[in-house]
Amino acid sequence: MNQTAWQRYQQLPLPTRRDVDWQHFDLRGLKLDNIEKRAQPVTVKLSGKVPTGVIFGELAKHRDAAKSHLGKSITIEERHKFTALHDALWDNGAILYVPRDVRVTEPLEVTYDLPNHGSASFPRTLVVLEPGAEATLVQKFTGSPAVHASGTEVFVQRGARLHYVSMQNFAPTTYDFTLKRAHVAQDAEVDWVIGMFGGALARYDIECVMEGRGGTSFMYGVGLGENKQQLGQFTRQHHQTGDTTSDLLFKNVLRDQAVSNYTGTIKVEKDSNGTNAYQSNRNLVLSDKVQCDTRPILEIESNQLRCTHGATVGRLDDNQLFYLRSRGLSLTQARQALIEAFLEPILARIQIESVREEFSRLIHAKVIR
Amino acid sequence: MSAELLRGPYKEGFHDDLPVVHKVPKGLKHEVVDYMCDVKKEPDWMREFRHRSLDLFLKQGLPEWLPGLRDEIDYDDITYYVSPVAKSERRWEDVPEEIRRTYDKLGIAKEEQKLLGGLGAQIDSEMAYHNIQESLAKKGVIFLSCDDGMKEFPDLFKEHFSKSIPPEDNKFAALNSAFWSGGSFVYVPKGVKCDVPLSVYFRINAEQFGQFERTLIIVDDDAFCHYVEGCSAPVYTTNSLHSAVVEIFVKNRARCRYTTIQNWSTDVYNLVTKRAMLYEKSVMEWVDGNLGSKRTVKYPSCYMLGEGGHGEVLSLASADKGMWQDAGAKMVFFAPNCTARINSKSISGHGGRSSYRGLVQVRDQAKNCRVQVNCDALILDDKSRSDTYPVMEIKGDLATVEHEASVSNVSEEQLFYLMSRGIKKEEAISLIVNGFIEPIVKELPMEFAVEINRLINLQMEGSVG
Repeated sequence: MNQTAWQRYQQLPLPTRRDVDWQHFDLRGLKLDNIEKRAQPVTVKLSGKVPTGVIFGELAKHRDAAKSHLGKSITIEERHKFTALHDALWDNGAILYVPRDVRVTEPLEVTYDLPNHGSASFPRTLVVLEPGAEATLVQKFTGSPAVHASGTEVFVQRGARLHYVSMQNFAPTTYDFTLKRAHVAQDAEVDWVIGMFGGALARYDIECVMEGRGGTSFMYGVGLGENKQQLGQFTRQHHQTGDTTSDLLFKNVLRDQAVSNYTGTIKVEKDSNGTNAYQSNRNLVLSDKVQCDTRPILEIESNQLRCTHGATVGRLDDNQLFYLRSRGLSLTQARQALIEAFLEPILARIQIESVREEFSRLIHAKVIR
Repeated sequence: MSAELLRGPYKEGFHDDLPVVHKVPKGLKHEVVDYMCDVKKEPDWMREFRHRSLDLFLKQGLPEWLPGLRDEIDYDDITYYVSPVAKSERRWEDVPEEIRRTYDKLGIAKEEQKLLGGLGAQIDSEMAYHNIQESLAKKGVIFLSCDDGMKEFPDLFKEHFSKSIPPEDNKFAALNSAFWSGGSFVYVPKGVKCDVPLSVYFRINAEQFGQFERTLIIVDDDAFCHYVEGCSAPVYTTNSLHSAVVEIFVKNRARCRYTTIQNWSTDVYNLVTKRAMLYEKSVMEWVDGNLGSKRTVKYPSCYMLGEGGHGEVLSLASADKGMWQDAGAKMVFFAPNCTARINSKSISGHGGRSSYRGLVQVRDQAKNCRVQVNCDALILDDKSRSDTYPVMEIKGDLATVEHEASVSNVSEEQLFYLMSRGIKKEEAISLIVNGFIEPIVKELPMEFAVEINRLINLQMEGSVG
């Protein structure tokens, strides 16, 4: 156990509805007693063809390779209680380390299977792409732990490119707290797609830190909420350097009594001229019991730049439904077609066909019924 | 490129030596409340209300999302009641000469005959003058200082006072409720249209002073009213506080427009609560121009209580050196079939900071509501800052909410085009800025539009390309 992080976890208060970030969330089902004793060892399943020189394996077995970057992004400074919990208790996870100029052509896939009811799991993932490297990584989280707090640290060094798809489909009892942060160096590119499908509550903090000129980040996400599911998406596009680009689109489909809170920040530091940042959050609401909050935030301290954002909350368009039905589609078919069309821009970002199909299957099972 | 002040020279920064009719010792004291109640000969319920509000102020904290302000203001170093006049006059000739002179310098009295249906003038804590055109008075329009409104129309006053903004609402509403003085009381009877604006000018002359005007506007069924307020203060080296509460009730099918041209000196903290209650099919329009003050915290709001209401906020903020314009809007929907639009434009330059803060909240009962929010920000240099903090909380599937915002600098392309047409760089920038704020300025009465253009006067002489 990391004692400093554990102390910080114990010091930080449990969020209440008074906290702006949590005001519509219900944490009564979250049981944290004896959490340190309930932690289960993390096992990962890996697949994909690994070229020589590339490290792709369990984090615990590659401590030396991880040493230079591990804990450089997720530090004791984190301000969330659940990130501190993760930092205190994690013991294993996965590592992908791609050396200089190596291009991994086939996608690499890691599955974290976390099966036990009542247990807790704290996987850590480290991704390092050395200058000029390229890779595609797929991360899948499934199972039914009571509490899941995970962290992923991503370093995309000069001129490297990472395509990264991450999805979770936990049982409806799981409380999932996830932090993912990518550091994007000069001329590097990260291209993310995130799928949030399961859990009683899933709170994702997804951040990109633009550290070098010419860096680009694409962040795309889909969240589906049914029954009393609670979704939290907290994104941050942090432009520390100028001449950087970030693009973000998060789309949610909410039905039944689902609750969602999107809070996204574009932060442009001083002397970051030439920043181009875009942020968009679109919510499709299918029931009158849904609570949907969105807070797109801009904090800008440079002036030679362009930052734009947009957010919408709406239902299926009556005119579009009417048109489709006039062409012979049933109401159900018409609704299906419109929901699929709404999510299509996210699915189109996934470059691996089998993963795209899996997203599509989950969307059908959850919201297109 | 270096620009001179974004705001033209501050011509209103003078101060006059005025007689002192009332002045209380500095500090937050219950004795001050008692003194005010005695001087104003107020009913017991108001005395009780003020004391309760002061207790609330002392108890209440500042909201977490509101940065700064915690240690910036020393509330015990402020005078809460100062008046150079004994009462509000209805004839300009009866206003003490020194005060008339102050207002002449500000060019206020001249405006009255030309374009206004009524004029009010507040100096420090009290209204010096309040008058309305005879034709409007005959139709039953009431336009008085808020204190006189309470005395002359006690029932109407009590029915509405603090009903939309109780002292519990926020810390500064509590402060105003404890020390309120001056402001306007407006009632427009059923079906009466006030075609010409009613205008009030707020002047702070005293130093280290708190002005707490309180305005109550009731626009009855099918009526219309346009209320315009302006303000200014001398430049001192110490800080003053202006904390107003404005409550508006727009009854069925009525319409109200409230225009503010806020031009405080950079000594003034401007912490204001403004709220309109909208009944069936009514329309409320806030035109909110913030050009001065050290820090402004103000989010004019519309509470949609009746079916089919429409709320609108047009917000223009210009943050120059030493200013933080924390402006925005709130739209809260309690009833079905309502619509709202927020259009915000801000300019930050010379180290100024402007923030848009907004709330759109759709409650359970509100079906088929539509809201559109647009925020555009212009940053003129790299010392300045711009933020956008919108919050949208939507319950249910029957609302349509859209928010869009953008932040940019003066585009090179636009500059290049204008300069290629032979326009000098300074003029070109000025043109672009004027074009940027045009959608809001065109909603202002002509005289105020001219004033805005003067205030946001970019002086770029001797600038280095």
